[in-house]
Amino acid sequence: MSPSRREFLWTMGAAAATVALKGAQDVFWESDESLDVGWVPGIEERRNSACLICPSRCGISGRLVDGRLVRINGNPLHPLSRGGLCPRGVAGVQMLYHPERLAGPMLRAGPRGGGQWETVTREHAISRVADRLGELRAAGRPETLALLAGYNAGTIQDIWRQFLHSFGSPNYVADEYEDGTDAVMALMHGIDRRPSYDLDRARLVLSFGAPMFESWWSPLQAFVAFASPGDEAESGPRFVQIDTRFSRTASRAHEWVGVRPGTHAVLALGIAYVLIRDELFDADFVARHVSGFEDFVDAQGQPREGYRSLVMRNYRTEEVSAITGVPVARITSLARAFAAVRPSVAVCGTDVTFAPNGLLAGLAVHSINVLMGSINRPGGVLFPEDTPIRPLATPVLDETARAGVGREPIGAGGSTFASGDPALRFAEAVAGAQAPVEALLLYYANPIASSAQPEVWREALEKIPFVVSFSPFLDETTRYADVILPDLLPYERWQDAPTPFSYPYPVWGLAQPLVEPRQGAWHTGDVVLALAQSLGGNVAESLPYESFEGLLKERARGLFAVRRGMTLGGEFERTHHRQMEERGWWLPEHAEFEPFWEELVERGGWTDQFYDHTDPYRLARTDSGRIELMPAALFNALAEQGSALRPYLDVATPTAEGSREFGLRLIPYRVSTLASGTLSLERWLAEQPGIFPDVLWHPWVEVAPETAHTLGFSDDTLVWVVSPQGRYRARLKVFPGTAPETVCAPYGLRQPDGQPANPLQLLDGSNDPLTGLPSWSSTFVRLERV
Amino acid sequence: MARWGMVIDLDRCTGCAACEVACKSENNVAAVSADQADMGRASSWMKVMAHVEGEFPDTTMHFYPRPCMHCDNPPCIRVCPVQATYIDDEGIVGQIYARCIGCRYCANACPYMVKYFNWYGPEWSESERQHLNPDVSVRPTGVIEKCTFCHHRLQKAREDARADGRELREEDYQPACADVCPTNAIAFGDLDNPSHAVHSLKADPRVLRLMEDLGTQPKVYYLRPRE
Ligand code: SF4
Ligand code: SF4
Ligand code: SF4
Repeated sequence: MSPSRREFLWTMGAAAATVALKGAQDVFWESDESLDVGWVPGIEERRNSACLICPSRCGISGRLVDGRLVRINGNPLHPLSRGGLCPRGVAGVQMLYHPERLAGPMLRAGPRGGGQWETVTREHAISRVADRLGELRAAGRPETLALLAGYNAGTIQDIWRQFLHSFGSPNYVADEYEDGTDAVMALMHGIDRRPSYDLDRARLVLSFGAPMFESWWSPLQAFVAFASPGDEAESGPRFVQIDTRFSRTASRAHEWVGVRPGTHAVLALGIAYVLIRDELFDADFVARHVSGFEDFVDAQGQPREGYRSLVMRNYRTEEVSAITGVPVARITSLARAFAAVRPSVAVCGTDVTFAPNGLLAGLAVHSINVLMGSINRPGGVLFPEDTPIRPLATPVLDETARAGVGREPIGAGGSTFASGDPALRFAEAVAGAQAPVEALLLYYANPIASSAQPEVWREALEKIPFVVSFSPFLDETTRYADVILPDLLPYERWQDAPTPFSYPYPVWGLAQPLVEPRQGAWHTGDVVLALAQSLGGNVAESLPYESFEGLLKERARGLFAVRRGMTLGGEFERTHHRQMEERGWWLPEHAEFEPFWEELVERGGWTDQFYDHTDPYRLARTDSGRIELMPAALFNALAEQGSALRPYLDVATPTAEGSREFGLRLIPYRVSTLASGTLSLERWLAEQPGIFPDVLWHPWVEVAPETAHTLGFSDDTLVWVVSPQGRYRARLKVFPGTAPETVCAPYGLRQPDGQPANPLQLLDGSNDPLTGLPSWSSTFVRLERV
Repeated sequence: MARWGMVIDLDRCTGCAACEVACKSENNVAAVSADQADMGRASSWMKVMAHVEGEFPDTTMHFYPRPCMHCDNPPCIRVCPVQATYIDDEGIVGQIYARCIGCRYCANACPYMVKYFNWYGPEWSESERQHLNPDVSVRPTGVIEKCTFCHHRLQKAREDARADGRELREEDYQPACADVCPTNAIAFGDLDNPSHAVHSLKADPRVLRLMEDLGTQPKVYYLRPRE
């Protein structure tokens, strides 16, 4: 296929065409004073660091000219990203030098949210915070301090937790959704951790709704596997995308399997049916390592159907085809490929788990990995070891702290197997005056923009007398703060950058300051340490570190001492190290710690590329030592809840038809990152929001041509997307890849004036009772012309 | 004499647009306001175009990263009344900003629509100026700008090679887009040099050039997707 000239012009969109057509009258030549930027040849330098924008935390290499950060390139030594970057990483220079960056610490002057601020010194701001927190402790109410953290990784998370713990507050609130896969692993493997996927060595990747090339844990991990060396199409793994939406990932995968909304897991069990019927599964693995496959008698002495019977009785390909809309032949060929092209792995995405039966659906998807024995084997699901950095000092608790941390965390509980949306529960508890919060710290969290329920958050904030934000920008939630202590931006600070769970080898990336920190801003890590010092006593003892940089160096001593792994290195070095470790060798490259640390900083981090596939502890940590297809804990919990849900049977989102009033199914999807939207808009990114060359800056929604036609809308119509819960404005884009009767709505965009355009605020609020995770595909909307 | 060209593998491009943003960062391409963007005045020397075919569920979509084609027979230079746009000995089509009178004939003549006009001077705030790349001039109001194959990188690479007393190597000169692409979809080099990847890639049976029938002889090749 190659686009014809006419098509190509169409594809190029109206954007370019109008340039040629716009009137010529205002063309003039003008010498532009502003262009004299006074350049002289500068001193150029390149330094490695890490991108901290999304959970992937890729390696970067900054190009500096006279101390200015001019370009962000990839760091080829980083084992995950290998010199590649995504556009957000590249646009980081616009975040660093963003004109709206806050100049320094500020105190509220005038009413809450009134926009009046008084600029103060760092010392002043921090003593204000320390005094206030000190009062809470003195009054014996440390539990009324809470932290809302939108960035939850590495050492900064560790010291925040340690700070709160020794202070006496149980209220570390993560403003982040889990994706539910950790609950699946905990139930089936007894390993409470998200799975890692060995994409590099897999030959077939079956992605069930995971946006691997877009907003997955690490798009770069998927890109690198997708592009593994060699010119042949067969060189990397074959990517098969099972998705409701014809996403960018679906379009670029080798194969797209379109399924009806909420039926991913039914397809997985249809594949399992063929694997069992045709005896294609790894019977030896199942016999040795798996329980619950055959019928069994449970702890209460009740006979129960095993996995085999359930699947064989309920997932005949014809039935699966009728539910999912995938033809029988396609199901069979997917299953055959999954068995034949080894190693193969199934990846479970949030389209599966963000559903009313999300946990059971996740279990069903992962079960085909278990059937094929794609666990703890090259190219399969792996459970790597943690990075061996030094732990923090043991926390010291005094009477006050012990009493405080013994309290119930606000909004605790959640659901049996996962914490759902702890931030929203926290806000509800506070807004409903069930729990007093005297002081709230906001760390990279902007719930007014990102939450599905900003109103609840507004109410909660009203009830909290003292709010401190560490945001470098005056975002929606920071506007409610009493004190702002703007953090340094990523390119100005020390921070560790562990790779996400999806990556199967420990990597301790290191971000180092590339440019001189902006005057006035202050590393939040150092602020935490300073707060601990000024609070004194056991809090200071629990965080006995001079500086955050010093702490990172201290932690790196663990890497130096562990006698494995390496500072980041190229392909050859990585392979060499791995092969040596496979043979039980390890050669020290540094006799002393200092040179080791210097090399670690210079190269951008540390990694260990060896994985022990023989370790049974990485297969299952259940009592039986087996992978449980029928987890007892799950049955018990269901019985306790009096739930009628049946594992492997109730795995699809119950079919709901849109009402006459709201006839279109809303399918929100992320365009950017998993974290909540706290970034100020970088202009280059605003000009490149998606796949439509002519939608710049504006939020949009996608509908199928016939749907648009029925509604009488054409491309670019400005519409309200309306659900019973609310509405927002967007441009309608007619997209032939969208399923009829659905509206695909990107999440994470803003209006040109900065207002969030958040489809999550339209959701019906239903969730999975087992995990508390929200349902993203059960809401129906209508479109109205603006 | 080198003949610089590019081969873009449509099977590898995932449409992530890292190339697009890297190009803007490397070449100081200013963003315009939302209003201006609505009028079609945003510049993207490299633009990732989506090509969609078919109806749901038999849809296909491919992404065409689209720089200037650096045509060997470029219609743009023929229409320029002041020779502000030109093709150099090594096939790179350039733009001399100081000479450009802003008539925009070339923008209209270019069938690929890769020439962008500066309706206003670039808006860089005081702080944003710090990230400007000193190797590339910023453009004034009223001139046309376009992809240069990151020509400044060639000059630099040449100087470095000369200083080291060696030949210019393939990896010494790569434009920003090819450099950043996380899936290595963009190959760049001397089309006439058998040791450069593009030399053999352009002979691939999958090769395709956009609107070849116009006789523009583009030096940007695409490898069409395998079915
Ligand atoms: S994938 Fe994430 S970490 Fe990597 S460059 Fe992009 S934003 Fe940065
Ligand atoms: S960077 Fe590479 S993969 Fe991304 S859009 Fe450009 S050519 Fe395609
Ligand atoms: S693509 Fe357009 S601007 Fe580039 S050389 Fe060809 S005609 Fe000129």
